[in-house]
Parts: sequence; C-alpha cells; structure tokens
Amino acid sequence: MKAPAVRDSGAPSLRRVDDYFVGTFMAMASPCELLLDTDDWDDARAALERVHGEAARIEATFSRYLDGNVVHRINHSAGRPVEVDAETASLIDYAATCWEASGGLFDITSGALRRVWKFDGGDRVPSHEALAATLRNVGWHRVTWHSPVLTLPAGMEIDLGGIGKEYAVDRAASLVAAGTRAPFLVNFGGDLFASGARRGGATWSVGIDDPEHTGAAALYRIDFDRGGLATSGDARRYVMWQGRRLGHILDPRTGWPVSGAPRSITVLATTCVEAGTLSTLAYLQGAAARDFLDGQGVRFWIL
Amino acid sequence: MQLDSAPRPAPVRARLRAAACLLLASSIPGARAAAAATTQFDASGLLYGELDRAKVVEPTLRVMRLLDNGQSFSAGLVLDAITGASPSGAMPTGRAMTTTSASGTVTNHAPGEIPTSPFSDFRGALELGWHQPLGGIVATDLVTHYSREKDYQSIGGTAALSLDLMQRLTSVTVGGGYDYDNVFPVNGVPVGLSPVVAGTGGPPDEGPTNASAVTAAAATGGTSAAVKQVPSAVVGVSRILTRRWMVSLNASRIVQRGYLTEPYKIVSVIDPDSGTTVGSITEQRPTTRDRRDLLANSVYHFGTGVFYSSYRYYWDDWGVRSHTIDLKYRRDLAEETFFQPHVRLYAQTAADFFRFGVVQGEPLPTYASSDYRLGPLRSVTLGGTYGFHVPDYPGELTVRAEYILQWGDGHPSDAVGVQRTLDLMPPLHIATVMVGYTRTF
Repeated sequence: MKAPAVRDSGAPSLRRVDDYFVGTFMAMASPCELLLDTDDWDDARAALERVHGEAARIEATFSRYLDGNVVHRINHSAGRPVEVDAETASLIDYAATCWEASGGLFDITSGALRRVWKFDGGDRVPSHEALAATLRNVGWHRVTWHSPVLTLPAGMEIDLGGIGKEYAVDRAASLVAAGTRAPFLVNFGGDLFASGARRGGATWSVGIDDPEHTGAAALYRIDFDRGGLATSGDARRYVMWQGRRLGHILDPRTGWPVSGAPRSITVLATTCVEAGTLSTLAYLQGAAARDFLDGQGVRFWIL
Repeated sequence: MQLDSAPRPAPVRARLRAAACLLLASSIPGARAAAAATTQFDASGLLYGELDRAKVVEPTLRVMRLLDNGQSFSAGLVLDAITGASPSGAMPTGRAMTTTSASGTVTNHAPGEIPTSPFSDFRGALELGWHQPLGGIVATDLVTHYSREKDYQSIGGTAALSLDLMQRLTSVTVGGGYDYDNVFPVNGVPVGLSPVVAGTGGPPDEGPTNASAVTAAAATGGTSAAVKQVPSAVVGVSRILTRRWMVSLNASRIVQRGYLTEPYKIVSVIDPDSGTTVGSITEQRPTTRDRRDLLANSVYHFGTGVFYSSYRYYWDDWGVRSHTIDLKYRRDLAEETFFQPHVRLYAQTAADFFRFGVVQGEPLPTYASSDYRLGPLRSVTLGGTYGFHVPDYPGELTVRAEYILQWGDGHPSDAVGVQRTLDLMPPLHIATVMVGYTRTF
C-alpha cells in the first residue's frame, strides 16, 4: 500500500516445489506467496484462494490510493466526524496504541510529510517554512478518536499502510489455519507468518536480502518454525544532506528523516503485526534501535 | 538527533502484543471463519490463615466459553475447607475459663485470651452465567448460584441489563437479584438471648452426628431450620473520560429478611462489680437489615501500567457505616510478566446493638451481639500479585500474597471491673497466598 497499487494481476498461480506447494500473486504492490506443506492439491488451491481473497479485500478496504473506501472517506471528511466499521475501528485503536507506546513516533497521520521530501538520492531538503506548514497537519494528538467515530481536522490525512500489510498477513494466516491442518507460511512482500514446524519437524528458512543489492543472493538465513517476521529498512530511498545519507522514514515530531538508523531491521514475534510494529518502532529509534530491541525479548537481526 | 542521548527505551512489546491480539481477534465482516470461538479456563488455589484462628483452603475452577457472536457462558466451582477457631463472642475474663457454644462445643481458655470455638466446615458453590448481547448497544447478564455447607444453603440469581450510550463512551447498568437461604444450626435454631450452660465435657465439634451426646446448649425453641431472603438491586454508570481513563459509579441496595442471627455466637454476662464473666447468652439480631453502598472506581492506563483505585461507602440500618479505599497498580515488566502491589484500608463503626457483654442484673436489650464483625473494626491489607508466563508452556500463572492486619477499639468506655484492663479486640494477623492459572484455547 505504499505506491499506486499494481492491481490484481489475474488469478494466482499454484505450483508444486519439492514436497510442498507454492502459490503466488501480486497484491499491495508486492509479490505475495503462500507455502503450504501438503500433498493435497485441492487443499493448497483452497488455501491460496483464501489468502488471495483476503489480501485483495484488505487492499481494497484500506489502501489510501483507492477512491470510495473508508480511508478515502476519512481523508476527505473535511473536519467532519466519520463513523467507521468495527474492523477499521480496531485498526485505528491499534495505531493509537502504537502512537502512545512509541511516545508519538509511530503516527498514521505522518503521510503528509512525504509530499515535501524527495527521496531520490539527490540533495534537496524542504525549506523550514514548508516543513513547519506540513507539520501543522501531522500528529495523532490533533485527532479526536472515540471509537467508532473519528474526527480528522481538515487538511490532515491518515495512512494505514504502516500496519496494513502485516495485518493482511496475519488475517490471511488465520483464514488458512481455519481451513487446513497443513503447516504453511504466508509472505506478503517480505512480511511473513509461519504456522509451525514443517512436516517431519524441519523449520522454515527465510533468506534476508542485502539491502544494498536487492535480488542478489540472500545475505543470511533465518530458520524458525512459528511466528511473524517483518523487516524495516530504507536502503533504496534516501536523500543526501550535509554529507549524510538520510533514509525515507520520517520522525513525525520533527518532520526530519530518522538519522543513524541501521539499514535493515528484522524482528521475529508472535504475529506479523507485532513484528512489523516492533521493527518500525526500532527503526524510528535511530541509533538506539538495537538498545530498543534488546529490551523487548524478541529475536532480531540488524544490518 | 536527541534520540542518541535518550535513556534506554522502555519495553513496549507486552503492550503491542496485547493490542495486536485485540486487533486480530476482533470480529470482521466476511471473515467470520477466523474469528473463532474461544474458551478460557481458570484454576486457582487459595490458602487463608488467621494467626491462631481459622484456616481456609479454597480451590476454584472456572470455564468461560465466548462465542463469536458475543454470547458467553460461564461455569464456576468453588470449594472451601475451613478449620480452626473463631471468636465465640465471649469476653476474656482475666482468669482461666471454659466456654461453650450453641453447637455444644466446650473449650478452655488461658487468662486474657479472646475465647474461641473450634470448628470445621466444608462449603461447595456452583455458579452459572450467561451473557447475551442484544443488538449493538444492549446486553443482558444472567447469573445463578447454589452453595451448600454443613448448616447453610443458598440458592439465588441475578439479572442485569446494560446499555451503551453516547458512542459507547458511557455505559449504564441496571440489575436485580434474589437469594433464598436456609440455615440449619447443628442443635436447632437457638432462642435468642437465652442462657448457654457450660457442658461437662465431651468431644469437640463433631457436627450433627453427635448432637445427642451434647450435654448442654441453649434452648432451641423446637425449630431446626430458619430462612433468610435477600432481594437486591444495583444501578451503575461507567464513563470513558479519555483514551486512558475510565471511571464508574455504582449504587446497590440489599435487603435481608429472616433469620440473620449467628446461631453459634454468644454474648458474655458480666458481674457488674468485678467485670468477670458469670455466664453467657445466645445472641439475637433484628430480622431485617437494609444495606446500601456507593462504589466509585477509576482505572487509569499509563504507558507501562494501570492504576486501579476505588472508594466504597457502606451504611445499613443496624448502624454499621464503613469506608474502604482500595489501590492497585499493575506494572508490566516484560512480555506477559507483571507485578501488582495492592493496598486496602478499611474502617467501620459498630452496629447499634453490638456490645462486648451484658451486665448481670441490668434489663436485657432487645438485640445483642458480640460478633467482632459487627464491632468497631479496622483493617489494613498489603499485598502483591506477580503474573508470568513459563516459556514454551501455554497460559499465564499468577501468584498473590497478602498480609492483613485487623484490629478494633477493644477498650470501650463502659467496660467494668477487670474488663477495663483488657484489650477486647486485639490485633489479628492474617496471611493469604493464592496461585492461579489461566489459559485460553
């Protein structure tokens, strides 16, 4: 949900690889995968349809690039209260908790800042005035949220992209689990969830790309059997300023990119939502990312 | 940026994990299959000990089934095994003495000691509950219970209706209940304020089976059982003030009617000059008690903890007024680990008919009780709960330990003779330990 969606590219494809099935499709501008450890084609087909359906539903419901959905309604409410459905309310509740837990670093209203920064590898930074003007339209504290009614001041906008993909992974995983006993792994563009050890007890192996050379051989491998895994990083989108390289993740309190953060942070947690939030929060801590994760009791990998 | 020199960030994972669970558990249209029903199982064991007095062992089991339409059913079983001694109501005399209780027990006491009677009892209680949402903003709760012990039985139920108003920021609850209790005192229902004669010995409290062996007791008036009926009503309102703060106010009224006397409690008869006890009589309480209370609650969420505070004011037409302040702070330490210290302060005034004894020769009052629970009582509770999760095992464990100091004004202004030199309500030291286990399927 980070760029105009590469819309549904037709039916998902399913193929057999060794002793498991791999289903693939595009959603949320990302390649999406389901690995299902079974010998039953029908089982795999049914699971893939559920995963694909759920990814498409969540993208359609929460993408800020699509007209007419709830996010569009909120972002075009011009300061009027908007009553939202239960699912949206629980996502907003979650975002509000993240905002509180991170001391304001994680903020679903920070999207407006991206319009004044150009992360094209160049050296332009926004003027002080432009940044100050934009910051007036950023900040969850300006929003009135009494579930299920959200009142967003005119000029502000929300973006659930920071949790949407991870949420889609967990939702899809629970749908697969409800329909099959086979071990499986859901991977939406690098945010993933594995349901448990593979048949025969082997773990799942996930390769982590070198952030500098995406697509090249995996830099290292993570073996795990159960949980959500998510990665935050900024390798390809940056701006150079006073000789420093600033990544594209912005601190909503200052409007400036977070500095000193590692290139890539991968976290393994109970769910993909939790892993994604922790890796994002760690990234937002900048140079203190490792300290932050050390205290959380999770496995993590920093590059 | 300043972040580089910031103090080490606090762990937030426990909070995020709870929030993520909530997010992923919420029922979502079109994805019903995944919003699976859950079953919560709770088991706990409580040990309660008063220094030199009663000991209680209380195991409990509770199962709650939550369906995906918001309905829930619960069943709970509580067992109590009580042994030890409880104050009979008799006063200390300054000399060695013997007392008896209406159940025929005879015990001996050291000088100055508060006389107690040994007892043992076993109680079993069963509770069934049903929660049913009606539409989006109304819900009903029905609960029924049955409990039984050697000489007491209670059956009853409550019904409540709650209504969410103002975008669910405010919730109003109205409820009522009714209990029907039967008392079967071991030797029949004693006549109130009648003399209790010391026995000549015999085995201690063996219950109804050896009733024929009891050598002395108060006159029973020929009835073996008595009835207590207890209608109740409650109204409450709770309000979410901010994202972090919720407050509630509840008012309840309970009217007890019937046999409210404690059949085994006695009142000492004291010599008007020396203050020594010369005998004892059974106690007698009114047959109605109109009890009311107001309870104010506040729950405030901090980043890493929750502060619970409550104040209760209670009053009844027996003249008992009490104040209770209860404070708890839950501090999340790490994932699924928390510590919760607890402080409780309690003070009550005595019932109008509470007396440490009656003076021989003076006219008998209509009602009299020396039950310390109706006396000028104070207590302080200090304790803590630690909750944790054993890696690789499901469920959450909690361990709670509390110390309670209970005392009263044991130097009444109307004490006579030797009673003036004694503390009639000496401090009582109580300790409780509870271990609990919760698991969700």
